[in-house]
Amino acid sequence: MAARSAHAAPVSAIVPKGKAEHCIFLWLGGGMAQVDTFDPKAPGDASAKPSRPGSYYKAIETSVPGVRVTEHLSQTARLMEHVTAVRTVNHRVVDEHAFATNLVHTGRMISGSTVYPSIGSIVAHQRSAANDRVPPYMLIGYPNVSRGPGFLGAQSGFIYLTDTSTGPAGFTRPADVDDRRAAERLALVEPLQQRFPAGSVPADYREAQAEALRLAGPEFMGHFDLKSEPGSVRQRYGGEFGQRCLLARRLVQAGVRFVEVSHNLNFVNGTGWDTHNAGQRQQHLLIRELDTAFSALIEDLRGQRLLEKTLIVIATEFGRPAAFDSGGGRGHQGSAFTLVLAGGGLRHCGAYGVTDALSKTCEENPVSIPDFHATIHTALGIDPHAELLDGARPVPITDGGRPIGALLDAG
Amino acid sequence: MFSRIRFLAFVVLLVPCPGEASDGDVVLAEICEEGLAGRDAWAETPLAAAGSFSLPCFACDLLPQKYVGDGVRGDRPSPTLLRLSGVSALPAGKYRVLLRSRSAARLWINERLVVETPFPPKNGGDGSQHDTERKDALDLGIGYRFAPGGEYERIGECEIQSPPVKVRLEAFVGGREGKNPRRVELGETVVAVQAAGETAWHVLSPQGKGMAYTDADWAKYQSITHAAIRGLDAVARAALRAGSEASWRGRRENALNWLATTDDVPVPPLERGFPANNPVDHFIAKRFNEVLREQRLADGGTVDFIKEVEPLLEARCVECHRGPKAKGGLRLDAAALAREGGDSGPALIPGKGAESEMIRRITSHDGDEVMPPKGERLSAEETALLSRWIDEGAVWPEMSVVRRGFTAVADDAAFLRRVFLDVIGLPPTVEEQQSFLADADGGKRERVIDRLLADPRWADAWMPFWQDLLAENPNILNPTLNNSGPFRWWLHEAISDDLPLDRMVTQLIEQEGSVIAGGPAGFGMASQNDAPYAAKGSIVSAAFLGVEMKCARCHDSPAGSARQEQLFQLGAMLAGHPLDVPTTSSVDPEKLHAGGRKALIEVTLKPGIRVVPAWPFAELLEAPAGSANSRLDLAAWLTAPRNERFGRVMVNRIWARFMGRGLVEPMDDWEKGRATHPELLQWLARELVRGGYQMKPIVRLILTSAAYQRSVDASLRAPDPLYAAPEPRRLPAETVVDALTYGTGKDLRLEPLCLDLNGRREVDNAVDLGVPRRAWMLASLSNERDRPSLTLPRLQAVSDVLEALGWRGARQDPASIRDVAPNALQPAILAHGTFSTWLTRLSDDHPLTRLAIEAESPEGLVTALFARLICRAPNAEELARYGGYLRPDFESRHVPDAAPPVPRHEVRCFVTWTNHLLPEASTAKEQIAAEARRGDPPTSRLTTAWRLRCEDVIWALINAPEMLYRP
Repeated sequence: MAARSAHAAPVSAIVPKGKAEHCIFLWLGGGMAQVDTFDPKAPGDASAKPSRPGSYYKAIETSVPGVRVTEHLSQTARLMEHVTAVRTVNHRVVDEHAFATNLVHTGRMISGSTVYPSIGSIVAHQRSAANDRVPPYMLIGYPNVSRGPGFLGAQSGFIYLTDTSTGPAGFTRPADVDDRRAAERLALVEPLQQRFPAGSVPADYREAQAEALRLAGPEFMGHFDLKSEPGSVRQRYGGEFGQRCLLARRLVQAGVRFVEVSHNLNFVNGTGWDTHNAGQRQQHLLIRELDTAFSALIEDLRGQRLLEKTLIVIATEFGRPAAFDSGGGRGHQGSAFTLVLAGGGLRHCGAYGVTDALSKTCEENPVSIPDFHATIHTALGIDPHAELLDGARPVPITDGGRPIGALLDAG
Repeated sequence: MFSRIRFLAFVVLLVPCPGEASDGDVVLAEICEEGLAGRDAWAETPLAAAGSFSLPCFACDLLPQKYVGDGVRGDRPSPTLLRLSGVSALPAGKYRVLLRSRSAARLWINERLVVETPFPPKNGGDGSQHDTERKDALDLGIGYRFAPGGEYERIGECEIQSPPVKVRLEAFVGGREGKNPRRVELGETVVAVQAAGETAWHVLSPQGKGMAYTDADWAKYQSITHAAIRGLDAVARAALRAGSEASWRGRRENALNWLATTDDVPVPPLERGFPANNPVDHFIAKRFNEVLREQRLADGGTVDFIKEVEPLLEARCVECHRGPKAKGGLRLDAAALAREGGDSGPALIPGKGAESEMIRRITSHDGDEVMPPKGERLSAEETALLSRWIDEGAVWPEMSVVRRGFTAVADDAAFLRRVFLDVIGLPPTVEEQQSFLADADGGKRERVIDRLLADPRWADAWMPFWQDLLAENPNILNPTLNNSGPFRWWLHEAISDDLPLDRMVTQLIEQEGSVIAGGPAGFGMASQNDAPYAAKGSIVSAAFLGVEMKCARCHDSPAGSARQEQLFQLGAMLAGHPLDVPTTSSVDPEKLHAGGRKALIEVTLKPGIRVVPAWPFAELLEAPAGSANSRLDLAAWLTAPRNERFGRVMVNRIWARFMGRGLVEPMDDWEKGRATHPELLQWLARELVRGGYQMKPIVRLILTSAAYQRSVDASLRAPDPLYAAPEPRRLPAETVVDALTYGTGKDLRLEPLCLDLNGRREVDNAVDLGVPRRAWMLASLSNERDRPSLTLPRLQAVSDVLEALGWRGARQDPASIRDVAPNALQPAILAHGTFSTWLTRLSDDHPLTRLAIEAESPEGLVTALFARLICRAPNAEELARYGGYLRPDFESRHVPDAAPPVPRHEVRCFVTWTNHLLPEASTAKEQIAAEARRGDPPTSRLTTAWRLRCEDVIWALINAPEMLYRP
């Protein structure tokens, strides 16, 4: 195991299972620059000739003494006792977004002989929904194979919606179909369903149809009605990304086990979190949007007494170097970057792991992607070493990942 | 306006031109591949043509394919030059001349340069170039066709004194992005003219003004020229293949000699009282009677082995206790071997459950002894069941009789829909149904089978099978997720050309031609895979030999005989060179020995070791000494008649596609399975060899058999291994989507499956899969970047349906079967998805709108809708139910004087890689997504209330379970 030692968590004693019941997984597609957010360093200068590496923004103190974040995370800074920025996550896949996105979602490299499930699908598979009237795994973002169930099969897949105004694909009736028309349609299809005998496979399909129509009904669809939230709450969450986070909280309350929320708003700064070149200039708008939504989610969950049982994760495919590219933006970096955990009953410490002066290498407590996954699973009461079955092949839930003991050793 | 007849004449004109001179009626199109030296710069001297063809106009947006080797798609150099030349009888006068081209182009009239377009800028990789609203797009009046986006357009002027004039256009195709080539893909390359004083634009032709340059006429021109160019492509493939015809004839003769020197499988006499259309039915009847006799013997006990015991053994025991490496020497995969026992003696003592080793080990509390060694203990009920089964004599029948008799032959309507869906992947049209039902001739089923076997759409229906089997997995953007090239295009052409299976497999293994433009070389690509050829090796061994080697990627197979070295030997043969075993394709020895008990898996091949090409399947075929070309050797040995496994595996796969299950299951792993009908399997395999490895004769035997044509037993939950009746079988996702689209007739107006519409990216980083014509043509939409501007909303709507029904947009690994179990997402997406909204909404362009307007009675309309969508007549109750629903206001439903829809005249927004980072790109795509979700506006030619009810009936048929299940 020599190869692991430099890049993975130290072996710790047996870690107790966590008590979290739900996970909200915020995905910052493109690669969040850790030096501009949760791992601030000495200020750099993108416009100097040559440019000087470093953070783009000022660092500020947080509610956890000694832990600092950049100035655009000022609301989160006040809540850092509920948060751990894991600053020493690392992997070697930095050339391509899709590839790294797949790795951070599945915890494994692609193989060509197995399609590995996403973390959302694994959680759905292991824990089902907390309430069998709702699906276990929902995605607010675009569907792709990295978010899919892989060998676990369709039952562990997601139901998705692309934004909060559209409702989930397949469960949102077209605008010209009201309750009355829906009932007419149901009555019309019924004789066609009755052509197959009870117990037959097409009769199973008929049951699936009934379930689909139930989900398209007011009970489930009501969860998507953000207008039923007080205006002040909606405002507190901010723009579309915040509204997605609010929706995620509602879905968690309804019993959904895992909600992935994508922050895919590249029109804010052009590039989204993939801040090459000019994308850097307006990056602060993205960070502020994240700050507003993330802090609102923490406070709201706390107010609803859900924070202890809801693990919030901020994940991204890789980080970015402290150095600037020729266009004043940043390239990709996998050798050290930050993923964030909040709530979920973990023993939070503001920040975990130490990187060097430019956040290029991990100096203390490195955390591999399998380790990070193992931490999430453990927090959710899932044994990260338990085996899933791909046909007959046993596949451990994580690829030898070990949870971060310091966050789980509840005193 | 161009007449239909005129358009049809193009087909004749589009033939390869042997000479240089054009005959005056057509435009000579020449493709020049040499002389540009891979640079975006005009050559000093005229370039020689590598090939030519003719066109009806000075307009083209598709080049004939380049073919190499044995007629497989190859690559042209980038850039390549297209030269169109000829004369034009344009009348004297002044003209404005429009030139459109994706890259640099120049137009000369009577040797005078009239207009030219520039080379595209470098660094197309930055996504913030060009506006999406196309502020620079020319708007030249009503009816004018806007550039599709990504094409340059320039206007020149010319005056013609004395016609005819000489016209010459030269256009760059492809080009360079820095040092890297761009795709050699022709955009819309058009010369159009507008006479002084006129408003209309016409495409320039030898006759002068050709067709009007409008969207509608351009679409016709495209469909005719594309079909003709595809015809040229087929001619080109055939010409290349003629070169190796003699050697293939030799192989055919050898195969026949082999047949003559080996024993034939006698066709058994038909058992009394069984139906038979051909020898297949003789084998089926014989086996049925044999199993029925066994079954009567087993009927004494209280335990049903097949239903209760075998699944339990399969789930918990057989994985380790099977095949040559069964743990403890005990095999539980076959009756005789299980009774024999293993190292610990007999596992079963019939009649004495409690004393049997099996029960002792299952109930043991010793961690080193208990079985199974991993996972949960067997439950008390499971243990009791096994014990009782042994007490009762451990009866172990091979198969169970699900039905004691065969179902009757399926009725004509069910047969017709079934055979259409199976063979061409589409339902019969109403006319096809009517003529078949009216036909009283006894041979009509054979005739329709023969017609379908000759139908070109046969290839479409086979595509999902091959894409799954070979893990065809192109990515339209930056391929990184174990992506292959888009070798779908090679597959489709090989199937369309009726390439024999051995030759098709040979082409696959040789991997000639283009990696990224659709040649079989694309099979060899596996992006970001640490051992690509090991991955390909396991695809090949499972697909063509029924040898499952997935495990051997990292370690020897724990239960099968596949060793890692064998897989790497096979991979090296496929690669054509030795392979080094990467450390990432192994298992850390420390991990192996982490537990206390002996590890289930073994690693016998050290990482870093070099494995040379070698044939690893000596038990299937004693291979002679290899040549210098390991790919050719592999192809030859895989497909040799002496390698009987190949023929059997292929007929088994063909059989399963039509009969619901293989004669051997699992189809990928013959070590695990045994044939239900060994003689039939062998007989069919020899028929395959006898028929020159052609698929169609085998398919014909299956389709014409009584076994295929029986009516469905709706109560069967799985295919009956004795084929007494077909089960209700879920249609493949692609068939459901195609049947719905074809049945309703709605134009889905899908966008091209491409995120690099203007071809500016380097060739390795963007593929253009075109506008899908059938569902198999879709692929992953590749938006791992999560960017709204990189969405393809209309394709997403179709992809959502396909994915819910078990299709995989990304095929990272191969699959022989799909997950088709019902789940809530399937009916949900069909009930409320965008795709269903499009099909249901009676818009002006919807063929069902016309059907509704022209219907003579509500019952007539219901009958027509049933025929189009589920291909059967409604019964009396259904006719009354749906007819009654459409009866109110039926007479007054038509609004004849409704205003006709206004044709759109606006520049379509244009989002592609080079502009996708602009804020407008996201906005534009979100608008398109919203429009797609809304669906087309409803027609005003029907009254609203009645239209809504008619849509409800269509919705009910779309959501009928019959839509998903094979009749």
